[in-house]
Amino acid sequence: MAEQKKLLEIKGLKQYFNEGKANEVKAVDNVSFDIFKGEVMGLVGESGCGKSTTGRTIIRLYDATGGEVLYDGVDVHGRKSKKQLKEFNRKMQMIFQDPYASLNPRLKIADVIAEGIDIHGLAKSKEDRMNQVYELLETVGLNREHANRYPHEFSGGQRQRIGIARALAVQPEFIIADEPISALDVSIQAQVVNLMKKLQKEKELTYLFIAHDLSMVKYISDRIGVMYFGKMVELAPADELYRNPFHPYTQSLLSAIPAPDPIAERTRRRKSYDPASHNYQDNESVEFREVTPGHFVLCSEREFKQYQVQSKH
Amino acid sequence: MVVEKVLQVKDLNISFHTFSGEVKAIRGVNFELFKGETLAIVGESGSGKSVTTKSIMRLLPEHNSEIKSGQILFDGKDLTKLKDKEMQKIRGKDISMIFQDPMTSLNPTMKIANQIMEPLIKHQNMSKHAAKERAVELLKLVGIPKPEIRVNQYPHQFSGGMRQRVVIAIALACNPKILIADEPTTALDVTIQAQILELMKDLQKKIDTSIIFITHDLGVVANVADRVAVMYGGKIVEIGTADEIFYNPQHPYTWGLISSMPDMETDDEELFSIPGTPPDLLDPPKGDAFAPRNPYVMKIDLEQEPPFFKVSDTHYAATWLLHPDAPKVEPPDAVKRRQNQYVGTGVGVGAGTFPGNKEGK
Repeated sequence: MAEQKKLLEIKGLKQYFNEGKANEVKAVDNVSFDIFKGEVMGLVGESGCGKSTTGRTIIRLYDATGGEVLYDGVDVHGRKSKKQLKEFNRKMQMIFQDPYASLNPRLKIADVIAEGIDIHGLAKSKEDRMNQVYELLETVGLNREHANRYPHEFSGGQRQRIGIARALAVQPEFIIADEPISALDVSIQAQVVNLMKKLQKEKELTYLFIAHDLSMVKYISDRIGVMYFGKMVELAPADELYRNPFHPYTQSLLSAIPAPDPIAERTRRRKSYDPASHNYQDNESVEFREVTPGHFVLCSEREFKQYQVQSKH
Repeated sequence: MVVEKVLQVKDLNISFHTFSGEVKAIRGVNFELFKGETLAIVGESGSGKSVTTKSIMRLLPEHNSEIKSGQILFDGKDLTKLKDKEMQKIRGKDISMIFQDPMTSLNPTMKIANQIMEPLIKHQNMSKHAAKERAVELLKLVGIPKPEIRVNQYPHQFSGGMRQRVVIAIALACNPKILIADEPTTALDVTIQAQILELMKDLQKKIDTSIIFITHDLGVVANVADRVAVMYGGKIVEIGTADEIFYNPQHPYTWGLISSMPDMETDDEELFSIPGTPPDLLDPPKGDAFAPRNPYVMKIDLEQEPPFFKVSDTHYAATWLLHPDAPKVEPPDAVKRRQNQYVGTGVGVGAGTFPGNKEGK
């Protein structure tokens, strides 16, 4: 990446549910990372590891229990006037997993897409509004006749395109895509991923791409963060993460993805992860440390040295 | 190969009657299942993979589905002609099924023990006591820790992966000859998926059952399948061994499927994607159903359905591109990389040397 301007800084983010009660859940526990302008940051992990909660807390769908999220240096969760909040909401948009549940079935596609345009007053006239809608539909590979239809008339892939058009309508800078392709068929997944990649280049967008399909994440992301039980355990450039995973959980996750390659599958050896294998002592502090430039691992001082030795080979 | 056939599906045609008309969901499906093998059926939603297997189990809704023609031969009987009572003796005993969603396929109001005992008592005339002992054994077999305690619990006390293990235990209770697994790992995480796949392969060896495995994840297919059938628009368009389908695919749809998955080498190039959407089976196209999405489409594709062309003894594909008179086309790069890899391993014949024998229609 040419420019390394930080668009988002996430510092010690915590999201606890049922805080202080017996059934407290630490969904996101002290997670810190940066997202640079113009990059695609991937976030992977098993269900329940807190990846979606992280995304939702960043965009302020949840109020964070602790920590801060800085967008262009401004705290997202800090006190804001209505006007500031509105401006912030325009810059950050979200694409959801389920294209069936995320579109209002009673609105025509034109109104689904233009909702943001109306709220933010981005259209000068009715005509301008419709022209924007038509343009957006064409951008995402649909055509203008679709504007007068209802969501139920579209297939899953088409709906996800509408979801993308809706997010783009307010000219955002940053888009959080929460498992945008998980509900789609393989052949349609490639269409949507290609579209997202193309739009990113054209509009200089920044993405946080949340998914559990690791091969797609590698393909689209510049950097990838791996989460496990509410904690970020490893963060590295996409290729680096796949080539040199340090954390045993990342290794186990990577070894579990079946590859579309029967010969490789016959010789595959699956690693399993046992959190007890770290054998942390009470006096060891487990922190997020930079093992090689840009490659962070959650580890103790002892493991840190071990990883550094490994990285030299 | 002299391998015993356990199941034979012959020229199956199934339609659904809906408000908008007759949906021809299955249009002439033929395949065989051999003893001890795993046959994977792949294809996108609506291609007919689930309908095919549900018809084997006779689980299609009676009020609107109709088997227009064809036979499903199992153990000398045609399953399409059996009476309900006779079918009940086969279902869950000789042929059993694992469904996609372990959250909804168990009865939430029944203890695990009773759910596993049900087929044992019904099909094997076991006493309650013996069935319970066998239930504990089965739970142990599928890798559930502390089976004596777990057997007395309810489904909500199990995680998704554990529930799917219970479902597998129920399906295997009577040592079925055929196990149909309809996307058994789609709802699970990758790490749990890997465990379940390993478990299924392990159990298959132990009880020598044949598996029909439905999935749309080609990685899973590569992991479990001996043979692969690719379905599109209610038909099988290509069938062959896993190696043949992954390293020497012939049908443009298979090419599309395989190259739309990123591999380690696709980095900056655009992913190959199949344009358009699946065919409307209310009014299936006249020629090749894939023609409107096929970048290699020829005139004949729009007029006549392609027959199966033989690529090898085990490998057949229904595309006019294999006709001796067809122009030679270059498959997408991702497929060529695979073909080279295949030649490199010396597993079989290289690309481009297929004879293109014409099989009767």
